This record gives sequence, structure tokens and C-alpha cells, in this order.
Amino acid sequence: MTPPRWRPSAAPSTMSMRLERQPDEVIDRDAPLTFTWNGRTFPAYAGDTIASALAACGVRVFSRSFKYHRPRGLLTASYLDPGCMVQVDDEPNVRGAHRLVEPGMRVSSQDTWPSLEVDVKAANQLVGRFLSAGFYYKTFMGPSRLWPAYEKVLERFAHGGEIPDLESYDRRRHHYDKRHAHPDVLVAGGGPAGMAAALAAAEAGATVLLVEEEHALGGHLRWGGDDVRSALAELRRQIEGTAAIEVLTDSVVLGRYDDNWVSVVQRGLPTVDERLVKARAKTLVVAAGLVERPYVFAGNDVPGVMLSTAVRRLIELHAVSPGRRAVVLRANPDGDAAVAALRRVGVEVVHVEDARRGGDIVRVRGRDRVRGVHLADGRRVACDLVVTATGWTAPVSLLTMAGVVPVYDARAARFRPDTTQLPDNILATGGVVGDGTLDELIAHGEATGRVAATRSAVVGRRWRAASPTAGGQVDSAAEPCEASPPALPVDPHPELFRARTHGIVDFSEDVSSSDLVTAVAEGYASAELAKRYTTATMGPVQGKLETVNVVAIVAEATGRSIQQTGTTTWRPPYAPVTLGALAGPEREPVRRSPLQAWHEQHGATPLVAGAWVRPDHYGDPAAEVRAVRDGVGLIDVTPIGKLELHGPDVPRLLNLVYVNRWSKLAIGRVRYGVMCAEDGVVLDDGVTARLAEHSYLMTTTSSGAATVWEWLESWLQTEHPEWQVHVTAVTTAYASINVAGPRSRELVRRVVPDVDLDPEAFPYMHVRTGSIAGVADCVLWRIGFTGELSYELHVPAGYGLHVWESLMAAGSDLGVRAFGVEAQRILRLEKGHLIVGQDTDGLTRAGSAGLDGLVKLDKEDFAGRPELVWQDRVADPPRLVALRTSDPTVVPVEGSQIVTDGSHIRGRITSSRMSPTLGRSVVLAQLDAPLADAGSKVTIAMVDGRRASAVVTEGLAQVDPEGERLHG
Amino acid sequence: MDDTTAVARSAISPAPPETVVAGWAVSGRRSTGALTLTDVSPLAKVAVRAGVDGAMSRALDVPFGRISRDVGALDGADAGLLVVGSGPGEWLVLGAPGAQATISERLGRLAERSTPGASADSGELVTVVDLTHGRALMRLTGPAAADLLARECAVDLTDAACPDGSALRTAVAGLATDIVRDDRDGTPSYLLHCERSSGQYLFDALLDAGTDLGVDVDGFTLTDPRGEPRATAHS
Repeated sequence: MTPPRWRPSAAPSTMSMRLERQPDEVIDRDAPLTFTWNGRTFPAYAGDTIASALAACGVRVFSRSFKYHRPRGLLTASYLDPGCMVQVDDEPNVRGAHRLVEPGMRVSSQDTWPSLEVDVKAANQLVGRFLSAGFYYKTFMGPSRLWPAYEKVLERFAHGGEIPDLESYDRRRHHYDKRHAHPDVLVAGGGPAGMAAALAAAEAGATVLLVEEEHALGGHLRWGGDDVRSALAELRRQIEGTAAIEVLTDSVVLGRYDDNWVSVVQRGLPTVDERLVKARAKTLVVAAGLVERPYVFAGNDVPGVMLSTAVRRLIELHAVSPGRRAVVLRANPDGDAAVAALRRVGVEVVHVEDARRGGDIVRVRGRDRVRGVHLADGRRVACDLVVTATGWTAPVSLLTMAGVVPVYDARAARFRPDTTQLPDNILATGGVVGDGTLDELIAHGEATGRVAATRSAVVGRRWRAASPTAGGQVDSAAEPCEASPPALPVDPHPELFRARTHGIVDFSEDVSSSDLVTAVAEGYASAELAKRYTTATMGPVQGKLETVNVVAIVAEATGRSIQQTGTTTWRPPYAPVTLGALAGPEREPVRRSPLQAWHEQHGATPLVAGAWVRPDHYGDPAAEVRAVRDGVGLIDVTPIGKLELHGPDVPRLLNLVYVNRWSKLAIGRVRYGVMCAEDGVVLDDGVTARLAEHSYLMTTTSSGAATVWEWLESWLQTEHPEWQVHVTAVTTAYASINVAGPRSRELVRRVVPDVDLDPEAFPYMHVRTGSIAGVADCVLWRIGFTGELSYELHVPAGYGLHVWESLMAAGSDLGVRAFGVEAQRILRLEKGHLIVGQDTDGLTRAGSAGLDGLVKLDKEDFAGRPELVWQDRVADPPRLVALRTSDPTVVPVEGSQIVTDGSHIRGRITSSRMSPTLGRSVVLAQLDAPLADAGSKVTIAMVDGRRASAVVTEGLAQVDPEGERLHG
Repeated sequence: MDDTTAVARSAISPAPPETVVAGWAVSGRRSTGALTLTDVSPLAKVAVRAGVDGAMSRALDVPFGRISRDVGALDGADAGLLVVGSGPGEWLVLGAPGAQATISERLGRLAERSTPGASADSGELVTVVDLTHGRALMRLTGPAAADLLARECAVDLTDAACPDGSALRTAVAGLATDIVRDDRDGTPSYLLHCERSSGQYLFDALLDAGTDLGVDVDGFTLTDPRGEPRATAHS
């Protein structure tokens, strides 16, 4: 029985199309290897690309096209080749004509079923008339109820490779990182002009980053043969010997942004898949060369139709014969060179059609390979290779990103940049701006490099003069900008875009010239609209091959000139970029307490609060609550913000930012304060202690530490620079430990020998300094967020663990227990203490937070006062209340709404927990004022749809409302 | 309680073997690598705030963006002090482990001398804050140090823009960090200084970023192989 055609074979193929050794080949014949392609084993040499290795073994079909699933082969045999996007192991959309093959590499075709050779999805060609231009906008539009079904079908046809699911994705195998670079000169393009520019710039004293898309420097010289071999070797030798030049090969400049911020993706590194290089170049030299342009005719995408540069790359670099019988359509010297190369390696050039003399190709015969060609004069020629050399496109992307509008030059048959529009920090050289002999290109590159170096030196001096780190010794006088070198000349070239037949224009997106004509007929008559309607230029090649043909065909269809039609807009990125490269390594700052290791060792469940990692609980938050209420507990409160305030004007600052009075805070006293923004909305709260005449320690909420610091600095720097106050953030200078519970005094006393802890000597809301467990310079507060007798100990952070462990050891007979954030939240809720941001929101003014008594509207102006005055006089704002549910077991979810009349929202639950102390739920809520009086009955809409009834309690505290425990 | 039992701990877990130096638990690891990262958090760190052009500024004579190891006004506070002009009107003084009290006291006296009779109304406000425990401090040394930092820091730290003796504040690995270029015997070396709570994060980020550059952890020592200050007192 004959096996199906797509069944993998274990037998390796032979390199039937491999040529004998070529003078400029980049393969290492002493390093053979094998890899697999669609399950079959293939031989290759180190230095082969995936495509060249397969082509050497006679493979001609590498992929199926985007829409019609037509077989696709090599077109450019370069980074830009749209015909061989492949899957490599678990990496999709790999450029097979660029990626070097590696031993054991598993390569497969993408989006084909059941195989590349027999792809059922090629049936799309049968319904091609439904997939014409803009079919996205015409089909699958209705009825809308069928969209889920459409979506499933369309998903099956989505082009591209497959990404691994999270379970099978090997994070250890994939690594992406970033790097910043600050070259004086960044040269984009390592051809002869780019290399010459880099050398001249370096010789003039500049540091240079030379970026080349291919695996080696040289540009078109790499396949230029005998005439340029020695020149290339000399340029490479010089660059290798120039320390000031850093060469990045296999790297693509993605974009140029303001002030020459240039992004580069670098591949081929030993330890990372890709590296995003963020370069801040003082000057940018664009030396992107020229891109050979495909010709549009019927069958121009049949495998075996190639550009002349593809043929020369295959022959000269990879020693691969592109075919056996060739027809060449040529319009320039590179076409002549391709003919010579083909003949040199024994390919039978059966016909040469010279477009310079009016010759043309009409159609290629064949479906999965070229079988022949129809010439314009009616002749038919049998062949397996059709080569076109019909023109060039200047890849002006980086220049257009700097604002340059390219101008069509009919004489050269290509758009060219108007370099007079370039900003001073960008220059261009080489093919992208003109033509010339090798000597002329090198000379222009050198002149450009020298100017680039001079201009970068000016920029460097200007930057250093503005930089404090330079020590202020740099002359910053304005210097004139040296003029750019004279432009290169351009060679004449016939205008060749499309034959008299229609063919593929965008090989990535499967857009044909007839699609563009249809788009114009339907009213999308500008290049920009036709692009969006047809998706032409929007594929992986991003317009490098097809833009000029798109413009020419739209111009033809509209009757306008190419210049009148203009190009589409090139924007970053120049080439598609992986999300991995953009994301880079995982870098998200994390903040840890000095006690974090202890928490982890004792089974704490972590809670990520902002950047902080905190212990949520140690297994049983209810037991932790009971330990605090009945005995003594410790909690790590290091994240609370701490600001050291110093200066004679601190009271003025405190009076300005807090709603209450601060003028008479005595040394050794602590006061609670609330800050409001200008709109009266509660910004933060905390306690502030006066440690000495001009020295205060302010605490903030954990999440509000940075905001409050900025808030204070904002007032000091912009409104009251005359005030003598310095603010120093000392949040992490201290490990902060709250010792809470009726036996806390007993415990603290055991480790604090030199501070009198008697209630009369150290009463509630007071502060002392002293030693704790032998550690000097500690600060002790008597405050109580939990509602219990408690001491907040601020210890020099390096000794935090020592003090914590000392407390745990000293309190073992007291049953001391660590408690986490969850227990603390329950404790404070039982006590009715609010949390800013939890029980308040972005609209909660002080009066709505149960803070009416704290706000002193009769004191001098303070932040938020006008709004609070208005609220006091006019508004009847919501209030913060405590609720007692009728069913004590009901704990309404935070955020549940309080409703009347069935669904009219009158408030919301801000905090709720089951109280281990009371054996019932404890709830805080924001409630409309008319419902907020004690005794009011309210209805809570539960998330499960049920309704729960509750009553507003007297005051917020449910435990110890008189504060006896706190003040004990 | 006997204070000899109190061992201070940096925010950065010591790479084994752990040992105690000048009252701090530190790594006793010794690296011969060309690129080393050392937790030098035990060094004394004292912040100074004063007027940009005031008497204290003139006395210290270290401009914003530069450092000095030779501040005559602080003679006697400690050997090997490093004064960093870390911001306009802002300095950080680094010294040997345990020297923070001496440094603070010396700065306080200097403030008194610089602004005699300073009062709430007339004098220049000078603030001295001991941040020894509030900051993490690490030293990256080696010819490839700038290459490693370029992985995590957008600022140009090469010789031309950031010569030896430079100081700046920027983001490293997304974290607010002070950087001081303080070469050791001609080898590029950078001190990195951040909030203590993120010290371990920054240390780990630098080790991760420098894997292919061969960065290695070196322990803290008072034997002064890199010119670090020697301990003067046990805190």
C-alpha cells in the first residue's frame, strides 16, 4: 500500500541542488548537521539558513499563502522573504530564509492541514470570489447571532504558527532581555556605505554602533563576486580592528523616535533569544541600501519565481542551485549579473527577456512549481525557474519616521528621500539615497560618517555641559552644524511595476493587483485607504517589497501619477517584533520587610499589597484575633509610611495638610490626623509624633506613603519655599512592630528596660525613644489601631529581626502570637477604625468618613478647607456607619449595595467580616445621610440576589466603644 | 538585654557562608571573578539636607552630581569618608560600619559652625538623618560593570558621560536608585543605593541581568581589598 504523501519519512534527503564550493559561500562544509522539516530528517551545513538547507535538498514549497493557501517558495532568500515563514520548535513565524539552521532543529510549515503538500485549506481558492478585497467588511456580518460560529471557523483559518500553551512553554529555554546603548553614531545598515560611514565616524573619534540585518557585514558585496571581494575583506578587516565600532549583526533597527531614540532587536546571542537594544544615538546614519522589487504578473507567486538577488544569494552564499532551466526578465545590471551567475554554476538559462528593450513576461505556468512562462510576444518557454530584475525600492522607513516625505523619481523608478528635510541628527548614505560605483558609495559613506561624528561631538558637548556628573567643565557654546555631503547621483531605470496581467502584489497578505483595482473601483482611491481595505503592506514584510507596486497600481487605476498618489506611511516597527523582546526580563520591584524571612519560615500566607509582600495570616486569622483580644500579639507593620520632618516650620506644614490643629502638639505627644486634597476628599490618615523641638515623625498609610511624601514636597516646593522644613522618607529605616493586646505592656516591659511604661508615665497617644532588646535609637508609640492596649515599636531596620525574635522569646509564657493583615483588619473593624481607600473612595470627603469632629473649619486655611466648608453648610453627604445585620451569620460581600424601594441604591458596604470576638458579622458602610441615623433599618442587596436586613448602630465601634481597653 | 547579641542584618540575604563583620551578618564568600557584586549595606550612611548655596554646601564643597573622598570639613569624623552630592542641596556621607553616630555628630557640629546661632528665623536649616538602616547599598566592580548596568539602566554610564566621581539618581531595574561611580584602583566600580525594602530585588535583578557577563557575588570584608572603609566602632 502506498503511504499518504504527507507521511514523514525517516530517510534523510540528499543535497541534490548543492553546488560545488563557491568562493564566497558562508556554509561550513566541515560542519555537517541534520534537522527535521515536517518530520523528515534533512542534511545541512553550519551557516545554512533553514531555507537554503531545504532548497539544497530540492524543496521548493515552504509555506502556503495567507488567504488562498497557494504554495509559496523562495522569493528574496533574505530576511524579507515572505514565502518561508516557518515554525521552529515552539517558536512560530520564524523567517526561514534568515534563521540559521541548527543541529536537531525541528522545523515545520505553518497553518497547513494535513500537510504542506496537500493542504485542504487550499480549497479557499475555489471560493476566491468571496475572498476578494475587503471581504472582511462584506462577509460574516450577519446575522449577529451567528458570529460565535463564524468566529470558530475563522479561528481555524487564522494564519501563522502555533504558540505553546502555558503548561508546555519552557520558560527556562526562552530568555529575552534588554540593553541600553548610547553611541555617538548609530549606523543602520552594514553594506559598503554603512561600513565606510562607521569607519570614518570612528576615525573622527566617535563611538559607533553598526547594525546589520543579515548575519554578516557586507550588504550586496557579499554576493558581488570577484570584483568586490577584496574591497569587502578590507572593509571588514578595518572594522574588526576598530575598537570604537560595535557591530550588531542579525539585528534589525525597529524604529527611530524623538531625539534619535532608536530601537534595535538583536538575535543570535548565546544566552538570550532576543535582546531589545534601546539606543540613544547622538546621530543616526541610515544606510539601508536598496530592496529589490518584485514584478507583478500572473503566477508571480508560483514557487520557482525569484528575484535576481535571491538567485545570487543562493548561489554565492549558500552554494545552492536555484533551478535547472531558467528564464530571466532583466532591466538592470543586477539582472545581467544574475544571468552570469546562473550560467557560471551550470544552470541552463533558456531565455533572457530584456525589459530595457521592451521585453516582458505575461504569465507563469504551474501550480506548485514553475513549469514554463508566457512571454509578451506570445512565445512559451518551458523552465523551472523565472528570475526577475525589474527595479528597486529605497527602504526609507527610518527616514520617514523622522518626518521625511519620500519623493517619486520617475527617472530612477523609485521613491527617494528628500535629505534636505532631515533633522541635523540624521544622515543617510548608500543606496537608500542614490547610486554609484563601489568607490563612490564608499566615499559617500566616509563623508557622511565624518559629518555624523562632528555633529555627534557637538551634541555630546551640549549634553555634558548640562550634566552635573561632568563637573561643569565643558564648553557649551553653540556650534554650527556641519553640512551633509553632496547627494549621490541616481542611475536611470525603466518603470516596471506590473505586466499586462494581474498577479500578487503583497505576498504576505495574499493581495493581488486586481484586489487593488477593485478597491479603487469601490471608492478606496488613495493608497492609504486601499491599504486598509485590502490589507496590502500590512503583513510581516511591512511594505518593503510591495509598497511601490501598490502605489503604482492604485495610480494606474485612478489615472493619477505615482507622485500624486504618494506612499503609505511607514511607522515603527520596521519589522514585526516578538512580544518577548518588547517585554524583556521580568522586572517588577518588590518590597520586603526585614521580617519577611521570619514570616515565610512560619507559614505566612503572603499578601501582595502594592509592591510590598506582607503576611496575610499564619493559618488561622480568627485565632490570631482572639490572641490579641485575650493576650498579646505581634504584627509587622513596617510598610506604614514614615516621614521624618525637621525644621521650625513643621507645625505650619502640619496645619496646612491636616484638617485638625497641630500648633500645640507637645514634645512626646502623638496626634491622629487626616489629610484631604483640595477637593476635600480624604487623601490619607496617620499619626504624627513630636520627638523634639523641631523634629517630628509622621506616619502614613502603607499605600499612601509615596503620595503623602509628594504631597508635602509639593506644598513646600511650590507654595511655601520660604518655610524651613526638610522631609526625609524613613519608611524602611525602621522595622515597625505593633505589640497589641491586654498583656502587651507586660511583654514590652521585658525588653524595654529604660522607658517607664506605666500608664501614667506613658499614656495613650504618647511617644518615647529608647532601647529595645539592646537596640538603641528606637521609637515607641502608644497608639492602637486594633482597639487594644498596644505599642508600636520602630526599630532600626537591620535589628528588626532581632527585636521581633526577642519579643517572641520574651512573650512565650504570655502566649504571644504573630498576627497578620487579615487579623488586623478584623480587629480594627470590630473597633470601627476606618481604612482610607477601603472605607473611603475618590469622592469621600472628610465629613463622609465619620471625621466631622476632627475637621477644624475655624482654623487657618488648610488643604481642602473651602470644599469642606461648603459640605458643612450646604451638602448633606453620605456618612460612614456601622451596621448590624439581623442575621448575625450574614457577612455581606464588600461592595454590596444598600437599596431602598427594591433597587434604588442608597449606599454600599465598605468593610465586612465575621467577628471572632462578637460571634457575629461586623460591617461598615457608606450610607445616604437620611438613612444614617442610629436605629435606621436598611436592606442590603447581596451578590447572590438575596436581601439582608440590617440596622445602623450607635457609633462605629462594636468592641470597646468606650475605649477602656485602648486607654488602659 | 545584652546588646552584643544584636546582629544587624542587611536587606540582602548573605550568600553562604554567612559570617558576622562589625556586628552585621554578611556573606563571607570570596570571588575571584572579573565582575563582582558586593552587598556593602553595613557601611554607615548619613543624609544631609541644606541650602543649595548655603554655608553647609560651601563647607562640604561637593557639588551635585559629584563625589569626594577628601572633605576637609569632616576631618576627624572617620577615615575614608565618601561624600556624595546626591541632589541639589542634598548629600549622602558614607563611612565605615558603625561610624554613623560619629559622622552625624561631626555634621551636626559642622552645621553649628557653618551657621552660628542658627535659629528658627534666621539660620540655614540643616538636617542630618542616619539612613544606615534605611537603605541598601551594593557595589558592582569590574571592566564590564557599565555593560551590566546598561541592561537595567537607561542612563549613559560610560566614561564620557559618567566618569569616575560621578553621582546621579535614576531608575535601575525600574527602581529609584542612586548611582555613584567610584572606581577601585582603576577598575570601573559603581555603588548602587536604594530603599532598603527593595535591596534584595535590585541585587537579584543585577545578578540575573549579568549572568552572561559572569557577575559573581563577593562577600563583605573589612580587610579593605577594594579600599572600602574599615570599621571604627560597633553600632
